[in-house]
Amino acid sequence: MTAKIALITGINGQDGAYLAEFLLQKNYIVHGLRRRSSVINTQRLEHLCTDPHDPDCRLFLHHGDMTDASSLLRIIQKARPHEIYNLAAQSHVAVSFEEPEYTANSDALGTLRVLEAIRILGLENHTRFYQASTSELYGLVRETPQCEETPFYPRSPYAAAKLYAFWITVNYREAYGMFACNGILFNHESPVRGELFVTRKITRGLARIKFGLQERLYLGNLDSLRDWGHARDYVEAQWLMLQHSTPEDFVIATGEQHSVRDFVNAAARELGMHIRWVGHGAEEMGLDTAGRCIVAVDPQYFRPTEVQTLLGDASKARRKLGWMPNTSFEKLIKEMVREDVSRAQKGGVFGKSDEVRRDAMSLQH
Amino acid sequence: MRTAFITGIGGQDGSYLAELLLREGYRVVGTVNGSVRSRHPKIEHLRESITLADVSLVDRLALERALELYAPEEFYNLAAFHPASSQSQIDPVLISEMNGVAVVKILEAIRAVGTMTKLCQASTALMYGSPTTSPQDEETPFHPTNPYAIAKAFAHCNVAYYRDVHGVHASSCILFNHESPRRSEKFVTRKISMAVARIKACLQQELELDNLDARRDWGYAPDYVHAMWQMLQRNCGDDYVIATGKTHSVRDFCRIAFEHVGLDYERYVLQSVARYVPAEAVALTGNSRKAHETLGWRRTLEFEELVCDMVDADMALIMNQS
Repeated sequence: MTAKIALITGINGQDGAYLAEFLLQKNYIVHGLRRRSSVINTQRLEHLCTDPHDPDCRLFLHHGDMTDASSLLRIIQKARPHEIYNLAAQSHVAVSFEEPEYTANSDALGTLRVLEAIRILGLENHTRFYQASTSELYGLVRETPQCEETPFYPRSPYAAAKLYAFWITVNYREAYGMFACNGILFNHESPVRGELFVTRKITRGLARIKFGLQERLYLGNLDSLRDWGHARDYVEAQWLMLQHSTPEDFVIATGEQHSVRDFVNAAARELGMHIRWVGHGAEEMGLDTAGRCIVAVDPQYFRPTEVQTLLGDASKARRKLGWMPNTSFEKLIKEMVREDVSRAQKGGVFGKSDEVRRDAMSLQH
Repeated sequence: MRTAFITGIGGQDGSYLAELLLREGYRVVGTVNGSVRSRHPKIEHLRESITLADVSLVDRLALERALELYAPEEFYNLAAFHPASSQSQIDPVLISEMNGVAVVKILEAIRAVGTMTKLCQASTALMYGSPTTSPQDEETPFHPTNPYAIAKAFAHCNVAYYRDVHGVHASSCILFNHESPRRSEKFVTRKISMAVARIKACLQQELELDNLDARRDWGYAPDYVHAMWQMLQRNCGDDYVIATGKTHSVRDFCRIAFEHVGLDYERYVLQSVARYVPAEAVALTGNSRKAHETLGWRRTLEFEELVCDMVDADMALIMNQS
């Protein structure tokens, strides 16, 4: 049997890297779309063979951009994938407040461009399409927990763009009979999560504080409640959706909720640190055993519109796909902390100037 | 003198709104689909009184320059690609850029220039798709089912967001079907009124329609643009459903239209079997209570009057042509 071919947009992101590894293990030939960047942006794929000179290489990277229809057409035409995983997006909610037009162009129209490319190339019956939808669609939640039937209430330019992408995916399924699915994924983290996302910011920040590379960790809303799973588990759900007999939309979540403060406490515990919380709201501080403030609230990280609580009900995915999360909250944090400790130890060896500069550049969570 | 900027001023709604604003003493500036030098039949009679601006809505910087140049107090975004009113197959990317992303650009331009400009965004009842509850109001969830409605819903979400977060005086009017003698012939109402006039003048034998039992909530376009103006006279922006709250079938429309000229529709109207689509499970009809109570919005024309008005206008048109 010839190998199945997959195309992953956003292959150098957290999910793209996990999914590429997962599909390569399943003997897929994997094509990946990545944006050109003046710095190397494929660190997350380094452990996978990407050298086209290697006869065993099954992973091929292509330069392309979600805002450039011709590049998408060319790559899809060349790869003729059986499965497309559309993971590329300007995925940071806070950045979308600063770049609403770009976010709309890449996240909303980018999805349409991929669907149109499939249609224009006549691949409707050949290519299955997965759209990375998000729990941010629920925004100001109308019910808890959230399932596939819960109405959406987007609260950011990112969520509005992702909602467009959700609907256009459903539209192409219904209008053209395409096998197109939305995975409504709740937060999913890992050691390779971007450093600007709150979970990674916490594990990285606390590890660096522990090793004397950083004095304090600044966070936004400590009371935000999230349903955090492990990206490795979630990419399996993405694949399962495209193997299912019918194209459907699925919520993927753990069904367990924790606050940002819980996350900080659990990460600190893992590092053998203890945090004592004092004060309230923007004045709240986390003190270490010596009484030093190591966690502080910076209101600049508050979102203009907070999404206070997200909790997913993935019972449909369990029932129809047989999918269940494998990684507990504690195990997820343990893994993230372990990696960030090892990086912090290296950071200690190679000096901290670089890291400090990157911190100064880092935006918001 | 207050200035109003109307995108899509050459359309049905744009032309009525321009007339209303001129009556109210505004300086009216607008953009048209196509060249400003071309003929735009619905606004030819206003050409001396309005300014046509050559601004592309997908050009963010041009929008900002236009806001600086004309400094409008009120901005009405009526320009959109509509699947029924334009070429049948418009590129969905183009529809989305025009009906969706352009609104983000307008909002960003307003935000950049200063929040003095109030925005009225023309949203559409098609955003509800196939709703599960009836009538639909401002709280009814959206389930848009074509690229036009999906892009409009995207724009609608952004208007709400810029209002809540950036304090832009931005409103969306969720308009149900609104008709008039200026409606494009690609819409079923005008198709019927035109056919009645032609059949009466022996220029046409029969009229073939897709679905006689489809029901719609049809209002009168000049009433609807009046609501747009009213919502920008409020202290803050909000969303308003604009509808009649009553539905009528295409068959009702035909019956009244033919009767108006003394004909029996059953002798002329054919139902095209191939294109028949079953009627909606849930009636598409809007609840305008909020617009009634907050804006004091009222309709001036009942359904029967609207139908007769459209037929009369087309009778006159045919008469003039011959």
